[in-house]
Amino acid sequence: MNENPFAPKGRPEARIAPPSGAASREATSVGANISRLMDGEVEDAEFERCVAELKSEDAMRTWMCYHVIGDTLRGAHGMSTGFSARFAGALAAEPTVLAPPPSRHRAPQPATFAWAVAATLAAVAVVAWTAFSMVEVPPTAVAKAREAATLRVAQVRPPAEVGTEYLLAHQEYSPAMVIQGGGPFLRAATATAIEPPRPQ
Amino acid sequence: MALVAAAGLASPLAQAQGYAAQWLTRVQQSARSLNYTGTVLVRQGARFDTFRLAHLFENGQESEKLLSLDGPAREIVRSATEVRYYFPDAKVVRVEPRTIRNVFPSLSPEQAANLAQYYEFKLVPGGRIAGRVTEMATFEPRDGLRYAHRFWSDPATGLLLKSRLVNEKGEVIEEFAFTDVTINAKVDKDMVKPSWTSVPPDWQVTQAGPGELTQKDTGWTVNKLPPGFLKISEGFRQLAGKREPAAHLVYSDGLVAISVFIEPFVVTQTQIGLTQTGGLAQYSTRSDAYRVTVIGEAPPATVQQIGQSVTRKP
Repeated sequence: MNENPFAPKGRPEARIAPPSGAASREATSVGANISRLMDGEVEDAEFERCVAELKSEDAMRTWMCYHVIGDTLRGAHGMSTGFSARFAGALAAEPTVLAPPPSRHRAPQPATFAWAVAATLAAVAVVAWTAFSMVEVPPTAVAKAREAATLRVAQVRPPAEVGTEYLLAHQEYSPAMVIQGGGPFLRAATATAIEPPRPQ
Repeated sequence: MALVAAAGLASPLAQAQGYAAQWLTRVQQSARSLNYTGTVLVRQGARFDTFRLAHLFENGQESEKLLSLDGPAREIVRSATEVRYYFPDAKVVRVEPRTIRNVFPSLSPEQAANLAQYYEFKLVPGGRIAGRVTEMATFEPRDGLRYAHRFWSDPATGLLLKSRLVNEKGEVIEEFAFTDVTINAKVDKDMVKPSWTSVPPDWQVTQAGPGELTQKDTGWTVNKLPPGFLKISEGFRQLAGKREPAAHLVYSDGLVAISVFIEPFVVTQTQIGLTQTGGLAQYSTRSDAYRVTVIGEAPPATVQQIGQSVTRKP
């Protein structure tokens, strides 16, 4: 056998040494992907790969950490002690439905959607509480989560209107706009009415 | 009887996909080279505006005047070299030098093919608009990355009389319509001149506008461009109120355009995220030392996907 003499041998101590080189880069990219997953920034094409990355114990721990810290920073309240155990017990006691009722091919109603969100949040809280009691939170994770939380705060404050300076530069390129009488300038006129120029 | 006659408009040729680009080109040329006057209603989301419009084409040059009939007073006068926006309430006039739009970039064969591939085009009788019997052209998207477009035009002259932008739920998110129109009207120069022969002394004149685009490789690229979009312009321009020039890249699927702006990130520009005004979506994000802003007549998800995949060229 032509075993490569330069191939890295199994070095158990590397597992406990601070991550370096490729391992650290990998960890960082997984961490970054988790952060992007939480922020809803992962596109459909990448989604499966990112979820697959979560399947390692380390990644799951990071995922839980980020949520715990994110929730703490946002002031979200955790569940009472032992909730997750009670929840798991209750879930196990639920009868398994083998044949789900036929779907009605109907778009989910807002209320249904709201409940689905609530359910997801509850599930996250369960995981978060479990994580909080299970793992020690490394300082880098705190920083990461703080960054994620800050980003999220910024994302709920988008500009109220499309920026006029961009609109003015953009408007003439769209064939669908240029074919209108008055064309793109109508849009600029309505935009500037919302945002009148201030005398300098 | 009328139905039979009207059905005759949708000829087999009109059904052919290649006709989409031809139809667009004709309607664009009519908007530019006809003389017409009328009242125009513009709806963006829940917002309505009405304008009086006069359009003159003379010696190969367009002149146009738009006068707002409701809301704050606005007057927009476009000549061959500039656009002037008058705001009498604020006593402000904004002068925007502009020479680019005089030539419509006709669709390249590649764009025409894309148009047919990503939209289903149909030409059908469109009913009466502003007192005229129209034909309706529909562009239905074949994927969820674009909006549906409906256009009503005057069959005799090709002038667009109404247009609608429809989202995936079937809601009209933007609309333009003549409520009355005179085509091949006698338009004289006075009708397309500003109401003020000179700017009153107590008015503020602001020289603003998008600035001229210097065509150039900006070093930026979009990695996940939605299918069907092609780059139609790239360069740098000085945006109003900005210290440094912004890179400006424009992509089009033959019907709409999406602009990408990249500029140095300024701490005071904290607003990032997604916003929508009528059919126009804007997504802003921070990428290291830069701020990336994407706007276009496309669903927010499409605009966001572009914004998230802007990188330096390798």
